[in-house]
Amino acid sequence: MKKLGLICLVGMIMLACILQGCGGAKTGVETKEKIFNYGTTAYGPSMGNVGLNPHENYSGWSTVRYGVGETLFKYTDTMELEPWLATGFEQVNENTVKINLRDDVYFTSGRKMDGQAVKECLEDLIKVNDRAPDNLNIKKIVADGQTVTIESTKKAPILINYLSDPYGAIIDMKAGVTKDKNVAGTGPFMATSVSDTEIHLVKNPKYWGGPVKVDKVNVKAITDGDTMTMALQSGEIDATQGLPYASLKLFKNNKDFTISSSPTSRTFFAAMNYETPALQDIKVRRAIAMAIDKKNFTEVLLNGNGSPAVGPFPDNFTFGDKSVTTASYDQQKAKELLAEAGWEDTNGDGYVDKNGQNLTLTWLTYPGRQELPLLAEAAQASLKAIGIELKVNSTANYMDFIKSGKWDIYASAFVTAPTGDPAYFFATHTLEKSLRNRGHYVNAYLETLAKQMDSEFDKAKRAQIAIKMEQTILDDAAFIFASHLKMSFVMKSKITGFKAHPSDYYEITANLDIK
Amino acid sequence: MSTQKKLWIFTFLTVLLLLIAIFAYFITPYDPNAQNLAKALQAPSGAHFLGTDSYGRDMLSRVIAGAQVSVLSTLALVIIISLVGVTIGILCGYLGGRVDNVIMRVSDIFLAFPGMVFAIAVAGILGGGILNAVIALATVSWPKYARLARSQVLVIKESDFLKAARLSGTTGWKLILRHIIPNVANMLLVTAVLDIGTLMMEIAGLSFLGLGAMPPTAEWGSMMSKGRSLIQTSPWVVLAPGCAIFLTVMVFNLLGDTIRDYRDPRQS
Repeated sequence: MKKLGLICLVGMIMLACILQGCGGAKTGVETKEKIFNYGTTAYGPSMGNVGLNPHENYSGWSTVRYGVGETLFKYTDTMELEPWLATGFEQVNENTVKINLRDDVYFTSGRKMDGQAVKECLEDLIKVNDRAPDNLNIKKIVADGQTVTIESTKKAPILINYLSDPYGAIIDMKAGVTKDKNVAGTGPFMATSVSDTEIHLVKNPKYWGGPVKVDKVNVKAITDGDTMTMALQSGEIDATQGLPYASLKLFKNNKDFTISSSPTSRTFFAAMNYETPALQDIKVRRAIAMAIDKKNFTEVLLNGNGSPAVGPFPDNFTFGDKSVTTASYDQQKAKELLAEAGWEDTNGDGYVDKNGQNLTLTWLTYPGRQELPLLAEAAQASLKAIGIELKVNSTANYMDFIKSGKWDIYASAFVTAPTGDPAYFFATHTLEKSLRNRGHYVNAYLETLAKQMDSEFDKAKRAQIAIKMEQTILDDAAFIFASHLKMSFVMKSKITGFKAHPSDYYEITANLDIK
Repeated sequence: MSTQKKLWIFTFLTVLLLLIAIFAYFITPYDPNAQNLAKALQAPSGAHFLGTDSYGRDMLSRVIAGAQVSVLSTLALVIIISLVGVTIGILCGYLGGRVDNVIMRVSDIFLAFPGMVFAIAVAGILGGGILNAVIALATVSWPKYARLARSQVLVIKESDFLKAARLSGTTGWKLILRHIIPNVANMLLVTAVLDIGTLMMEIAGLSFLGLGAMPPTAEWGSMMSKGRSLIQTSPWVVLAPGCAIFLTVMVFNLLGDTIRDYRDPRQS
């Protein structure tokens, strides 16, 4: 009897607890917070963009992409420059630019953005960033009220273009950078927490561009494409960037989802290592270039989400693919070129050899961009068909192999014209002192053309120089350009104002809304 | 069905699997590594019984070729860990004293780590490749056999027949080879056969994580990993290697169970 009574008592207490939980708290006015959950493969340590300090490595991309920071100028959908934090600029002389700033912009720290704030930010940029000093060549910055005057050490025809690179996002240097790499920017959102895998943002209530419609944004780095697909299908996230191509068909023609796509200048390409003896022979490099089936790579493996590449720039640029030529896909000719170079299959094992050694190369890449392992495996089969044994090393630790030189062909993805101008790609990849010239490629004619471009202000003439430079690197077969990416965002159909942009810079903006 | 009949059936199936693994590249209908992008992701049909993958490679050919890597590497792993582990265990049990203490403390260190996590760490350091995956798993798996062998030897050491053998002048290696190993072998054989399934799953697991077989090698675990994103649109790419793993593990497990039942009916 006692036991029964005890059981009944415990049961009633438990029931009371359950019913207590069912009751909602009384509130005065019911508010519905708009929260946008965004999954992306493009944020993380392997991308070099963790944190929001635009001066560090490629973190400026995160600053601008996630609506925290803004640059003085930005790119339109047709990759033309338009004012953003600035109202305009004046070319004082060939070395000097005067930029006029908006008068109504405040950092999330409360400080007003003026010439002095911009000067402090740009001075820190050239002190900290490894690319900016050579791009901007800044000698002196003078701040005066709502203007900054920038004097360069030499002619600076595309200074404004470079300032529109995400590393040029203007942040409050007096507020500084926190331990978790958070900053005070001018954008529609401000971060409440930042880590290597997530960024939590809230709207900036004093955004100069007007009311921000979405209250909170949660950016999640999801490295696995299948996890991202399922997260979108289950509703755990509202939009994605970097969905596997195989998954896109699940969301096409589906009324619950929309897809926003844009051609970009992000190019998948391979660089030859000139330290590898076999690759010092131009015939071998050309044979490799001719053996890779770019058309099927783009149409089949990328499911048509791109265009086969000739050079580094897509067709929509005046200096793009239409202006240059390269040998077309021809495996038979590739074999003949190898034979001319002295590589033939003398022992019948299916691989060409010379002096008793098979032609074996290592293809280094990283899995952070889903397209790269696909390109690697396709290239492996293509090169096997012409008798080259290709070992694929697809690893997140690719930089260790780059530094140790343990690679022969390095494939990567790069936005080749983020400034809308061709100089950026050549400056970063193809010149003797280029930071990303991993293969140690050097061509004296290329260096001469680069110097000409450095001091050329006329856009049409710059395009002509670019075409000559592209043709030079293609003739040398120093690089093989496989495909230009068509980038897609997949999102729930209730999301608006979230559009793919050809620069790949702008994602979360004040236009973002949830219906 | 009698135990003997079951033993025949499972032995036959195992031998069949081994023959498929050994002669895989002779019996595949297509070259397992030959790409044909025009035929990518075709559903199972008369021309391609298990369909094609995202590179247009024939799935049936790749599953058969995968048997060579998956089955033979697993057998190699089992042989390595049982030979190494049993040798160490017998020496520890027979010699005792400091040798036993030191080696058993070393094996305790290995056993303290979660096996698969440790294997992933070792494979991560060594790099990708099926050989490195086998080395990584061997590193973490030998202590089990060492301990088993040691415990058996400790029991046998106290048995009358061994004392008699010692009294008759048999010592050292002769004692181990003639009296200890034959009495330990039965139990360890059953353990090894039962472990084949588990170890095959572990090799597949490392390959799934990108730490095992490198492209374009057909290996069931890496095939499942690459096909994950296609499970909703082209499920055959994942199901084919997945079923192969399931059937193979089942055959070896059932073989191990049957051998155990046959050798010791009290346990059936």
